[in-house]
Amino acid sequence: MSALEAFGDFEQITAARARTAIGLHHFASRLEGIDAGCVALMGSWGRREVTHGSDTDWLLIGPGDVAGVEARLGSASGTREVFDAQVDVPTLSRIGAAEDDTRNQTRRLLLLMESVAVVGPDGHREALRALLAAYLGRERRDRRPPRFLLNDLVRYWRTMAVEFEGKGDRKWALRHAKLRTSRTVLFAGGLLPLLECHHVVAEEVERLLLARYLEPPVDRLARAFASYDAMDAGARTFAAYDQFLGLLDDPERRGRLEDLSREEAATDPVFADARRLGREVQQGLLALLFEREPLRRLVRQYLIF
Amino acid sequence: MTSPRRASRQAAFPGLAFDELRATSRPFSRALLTTHHPLGASTGYMAAAREDWAGLVEAACRVSTFAVELSALAEDELPGLLAFLAGRPRLPFHYLSVHAPTKHRRLPEDKLVARLAELPPHVDAVVAHPDLIADPAAWVPLGRRLVLENMDPRKATGQRVEDLEGLYDVLPEAGFCLDIAHAAAVDDSMALAHELLDAFGARLRQVHLSSLRAGRSSHVPLYRKDELRFAGVLRRCPDVPWILEAPPPPR
Repeated sequence: MSALEAFGDFEQITAARARTAIGLHHFASRLEGIDAGCVALMGSWGRREVTHGSDTDWLLIGPGDVAGVEARLGSASGTREVFDAQVDVPTLSRIGAAEDDTRNQTRRLLLLMESVAVVGPDGHREALRALLAAYLGRERRDRRPPRFLLNDLVRYWRTMAVEFEGKGDRKWALRHAKLRTSRTVLFAGGLLPLLECHHVVAEEVERLLLARYLEPPVDRLARAFASYDAMDAGARTFAAYDQFLGLLDDPERRGRLEDLSREEAATDPVFADARRLGREVQQGLLALLFEREPLRRLVRQYLIF
Repeated sequence: MTSPRRASRQAAFPGLAFDELRATSRPFSRALLTTHHPLGASTGYMAAAREDWAGLVEAACRVSTFAVELSALAEDELPGLLAFLAGRPRLPFHYLSVHAPTKHRRLPEDKLVARLAELPPHVDAVVAHPDLIADPAAWVPLGRRLVLENMDPRKATGQRVEDLEGLYDVLPEAGFCLDIAHAAAVDDSMALAHELLDAFGARLRQVHLSSLRAGRSSHVPLYRKDELRFAGVLRRCPDVPWILEAPPPPR
């Protein structure tokens, strides 16, 4: 049973998960006969929230026939720099080194926090475990969120926010709406399991994080809202997020967001709706983080310095 | 730094005592009010500056620059508010609601809704009194921006779950504004406030927060006894703006 079910029925999230499951099955069939031990999908696939217009960003993890995978899954223009490529865990694990550029960091963080296996679920799980081990190798302490991974996650979130401005006006309104919703859910869904480490001893940290990061980010949030006695705020947060997925899945409204300029967005009712839904998602998450114990203390202790 | 090997040899210490406070955190209601975010002011209590919208915004900013409710409680205040907002003033608020007229109503319902629909897109909510909604279908054009407020006992309807359910059937996108003082005036056990949240909590967009003068419907600064009485209900609303319908308590 998904942790989300305790908060109500969310029509759009349920439909998106069904689309994701069907799509994964379809892609797995397409990869039959290809030498590819583990292929993972990222982004909305990893969140199990496929909507109209979702990209198909994939990574081949470890050895295999990358050209064959590309022939079967395709390659989305504009994402090839980061996705639709072959990666290996040792390279992804060079965390903070000179060669750990934005591309390597993006691949690592999204693989860890927002990915799902198309083929090779065992290899996918092992890749996540190895990445966690790389972060936790020298830092395993009782009842302490792991700083190394926390800092990399915060760095990634801030990178996303800075790159949002750096990308200029292209699809500004859609990117703005996503930053306030799906990207916020990605960040908070990565953050809350780290803060949950406050409740466990050193030996349990890797197992806890692996179990959480194999779940969709929304389920991680649902678990936190329930654990910290914030069911009402959680229900409103997921209701807003559900409506946002409905907006994204509506070709007309999504198309409008894609076409709006920054100036037009200020007076556009569709953008205003998306902005309101984003505010409601962020309000719910901020209330969880700042008005519930011990999260309030943990945020103060770990999130700024 | 503790190595994994060392950690595994020694017994772990228990979790902090504060962890036990997960379900009962913030036991003091005063902390609820003073630390809640976002908090905002309703301009409805600023009678001296009525219709001076720039002055009202300035006064509201002294309470909070995060949230505000601009109240056009009399219908003849609405054109001035529309003109003020059409001028795109540099408002700092993250959440902006407008209280729809409740007094001196002259426009037919559909015409009033048409005027409210002219409010610019950055107005997040249009708060309306359900006892003044004669034809719910007329309010459909406001969509998700329409927010229905529960009423005090002196109104003909709109106090209880069953009064509002029928409106939401016709207006499924509409939100809910919990006026906690109104709910407490109908049922001082606060059970009604919880029932309203049980029924409409997923629609909650904001809270109206104040006390009511005994035996009357006028809003006054939150009494200390009400801070305690309201705490359990407010704890269920940590994520939405709380709009003060009277000046902040002086304490």
